[in-house]
Amino acid sequence: MKRLLGEARMADMRTVLSIRGAERRYRADHAALAGADLDLQAGRITALLGPSGSGKSTLLRAIAGLERLEAGSIRLGDTIWNDARTHVPPEARRVGMVFQDYALFPHMTALANVAFGLSGPDKQARAMTQLEAAELGHKAKAYPHELSGGEQQRVALARALAPEPAVVLLDEPFSGLDRRLRGELRERTVDTLRAAGTTALIVTHDAEEAMAVADQLALMDGGRVIQTGAPDEVWMSPVSATAAKLLGDVEIIEASVTGGQAETPFGPVDANGFEDDQPVSVLIRPRAFTLSLKPEGEYTITRRRSAGPHLTHRFASEAGEWTAQTPAPSPIQEGDRVSVELDPVYVRVVAA
Amino acid sequence: MPGRATSLAILAATLCAAPILAVVWIGLSGETGDYLRHLAGTRLPTYLLTSALVGLIAAGGAGLIGTGLGWLMARTEFTGRRTLGWILILPLAVPAYVAAYAWLDLSAAGGPLHAATGGLFPTIRGSWGAGLMFALVLYPYVYLLARNTFSSQSADAYNAARTLGAGPMSAFSRTSLPMARPAIAAGLALVVMESLADYGTVSHLGAPTLSIGLIRAWSGAGSLVDAARLSLVLVFIAMLVFGLERAQRRRARSVNAAGRHKPSPRIRLSGLPALGALTACLLPLTLGMLIPLGRLVWLAAHTETAPGLVAASWHSLSLAGITALIAAALGLATAYALRSRTAIATLAARAAGLGYAVPGAVAAVGVIAILSGTQSLLDPAWRSVTGEVFPILLTGTGAALVFAYLSRFAAAAISPAETALARVTPSLDGAARTLGASRGQRVWHIHWPLIVAGVTSAGLLVFVEVLKELPATMILRPFNYDTLAIIAHNFASDERLGEAALPSLLIPLVALLPMIFVARYLSRQDP
Repeated sequence: MKRLLGEARMADMRTVLSIRGAERRYRADHAALAGADLDLQAGRITALLGPSGSGKSTLLRAIAGLERLEAGSIRLGDTIWNDARTHVPPEARRVGMVFQDYALFPHMTALANVAFGLSGPDKQARAMTQLEAAELGHKAKAYPHELSGGEQQRVALARALAPEPAVVLLDEPFSGLDRRLRGELRERTVDTLRAAGTTALIVTHDAEEAMAVADQLALMDGGRVIQTGAPDEVWMSPVSATAAKLLGDVEIIEASVTGGQAETPFGPVDANGFEDDQPVSVLIRPRAFTLSLKPEGEYTITRRRSAGPHLTHRFASEAGEWTAQTPAPSPIQEGDRVSVELDPVYVRVVAA
Repeated sequence: MPGRATSLAILAATLCAAPILAVVWIGLSGETGDYLRHLAGTRLPTYLLTSALVGLIAAGGAGLIGTGLGWLMARTEFTGRRTLGWILILPLAVPAYVAAYAWLDLSAAGGPLHAATGGLFPTIRGSWGAGLMFALVLYPYVYLLARNTFSSQSADAYNAARTLGAGPMSAFSRTSLPMARPAIAAGLALVVMESLADYGTVSHLGAPTLSIGLIRAWSGAGSLVDAARLSLVLVFIAMLVFGLERAQRRRARSVNAAGRHKPSPRIRLSGLPALGALTACLLPLTLGMLIPLGRLVWLAAHTETAPGLVAASWHSLSLAGITALIAAALGLATAYALRSRTAIATLAARAAGLGYAVPGAVAAVGVIAILSGTQSLLDPAWRSVTGEVFPILLTGTGAALVFAYLSRFAAAAISPAETALARVTPSLDGAARTLGASRGQRVWHIHWPLIVAGVTSAGLLVFVEVLKELPATMILRPFNYDTLAIIAHNFASDERLGEAALPSLLIPLVALLPMIFVARYLSRQDP
């Protein structure tokens, strides 16, 4: 993890916000944040992906100043927001936040909501400009309950962006919407954030969504950020089994290294620099398996499921049972015998 | 079931709406008496002004106490909060006039407070005194609604305001408070209505509101038409109050548009702030309950008990009991009818709800109008058949009283029943049906256990209200038929406060147990 953070820093990107060793516990026995590190780069969108309870929302709220840290620091450029002595209140932080339920003020019109964070004589006009940028100028006088879910989300984003915050935080911003609307709104949100040139952090538990929106992906588990990097890079080279599982289905085979290779039932794979006799986990994405029909094949198909553009085949031998993702259409049926080959691109060896 | 429920709902609506309709009809059609003309030139402006003043003071006081305590209970945590949560509702068991008897006795010249402070303590009387009494015993209406709305508010709105640059106080006053405003206003509307409907307090403390004028028109001048006309003024004001309450809501809503919300973490108070919160809770309780009831206990202990208390207690209990039972049944039936979502059921519920805006004295005038109208209609036919005068419906029985009580309080039983019944979701019904439960089994095993506490609490609330009721009882009670409220009022208006003390004390004491049930039930409902 340290290595990856180092790489990111070397890549000449201006870090706007940096979090070091953030800790927060709700109960004595459970830490929501257990020393989380994260850097946000200027004008880039970072997606924070993790299962529920991993501490990602707590981290987001800590950045906003809505949670106090018990240890660690948060700083914006040279300004300290949090450390052992400091806790800058939310209103003094210049963060914009889009809440999971949008938290639009129900007693104010869309325009009044957007104007809330603005001041000065031209605040109505500026709010209107912001609302028009969200293509909601015609809904300025509407109250939140008179807007559709998608419109509410756009007003919430416009409200967060209007005061030109240093960082925009989005907490599961698409979770309340139906699937079809989701993709559309996701694109629109990313476009809006890019147009505004804002540094943004989006929290989500949806791997696909995270990879679709992110310039930088951060994986979180157990109150720590376990990996950061470009989405492709993180997907291709997960640092641990946990990281790999966060991004999609994966088969994990425990193995040990001999001669720079890790032994698997499907043959040896490159041990990724691990030394001999070290226990390792071999991570195999389901698409790494290539199945071929063979009457004397070593494996039997135990289950076949359609999943649109591809299929999943469950196959078994005495050594175990695994799942393969195969392109549709496929002639392979349940009960067929097959042989299996492994595409090394989708295989990665990590410490066990 | 739906058919029967709807017809019961229509019965409830008729009971509730008939008196007010009768008042409107008589008020608009009858001849104008001299009394009213005289009144309009002399006392009417005073009545209106005093009513406005009393209503404003009551609303201001109850708003301040109720909103403050509601926020404390919903958003903070301190030792004793849980228990205080329901105890704070109990002052509803104390009639405002009972508090007024005790406070005037304490603070008037010659009273212990007056003596102890060397006359510095102001005498509790007039519009200010009456408004204060109402604020002290009626604030629970505001408190209940404010607490509920503050605890169901999403913390995110407040947090969003903070991230948009508002400090804690500014975020509270710009988001949390306006979001709670509709609920607070609804509570205030109830407080104002109860204050305007009151007779005992304002007559004892000398604050001549419209109800005083109304009772004088009826019992002094004996004119039904004039009483009805004054009633119309009162009803008009009631409509105005509730209309304003509705208007201020406009299109804005108090709940978050997206249904989900995160419960906001309570602010933990300890040390001085916790002590402050505790004091804030105990102050209205002390002023509204402990001091007045304590004074009455002392007075009762030092006075010989007046005769007739047992009979009056029995009358009070049976009237309150019967009305509560019928109101609970009608409320439940209306709630069931509302589930059918038919236009007629909705209309019936609305009409029944109207009753709550009608002061007791007005309901009584309406009932008199209806019963005497029926009597004069039936009398000729009855005479021709039996040769005798038609039996007097009006003063012969307590039925007229129950009619008036129902028309005023049945509405109060509808919305709790509705809330209770809302727990029985259509899918619960569906699940029971697919598991083979018959209608009877569903009602008995599924509905009843879920709604029994709510319906009981609705009935008990009506019980307490009837126990406290004075003006309608004064107008409609059969000859020589006393209730506790009547006895207390009669002694108090004769300046015989010692004798008034025990019956005054009995009302809150009897009301306390049911009120505790209601208070605990209502507090369990809150998130």
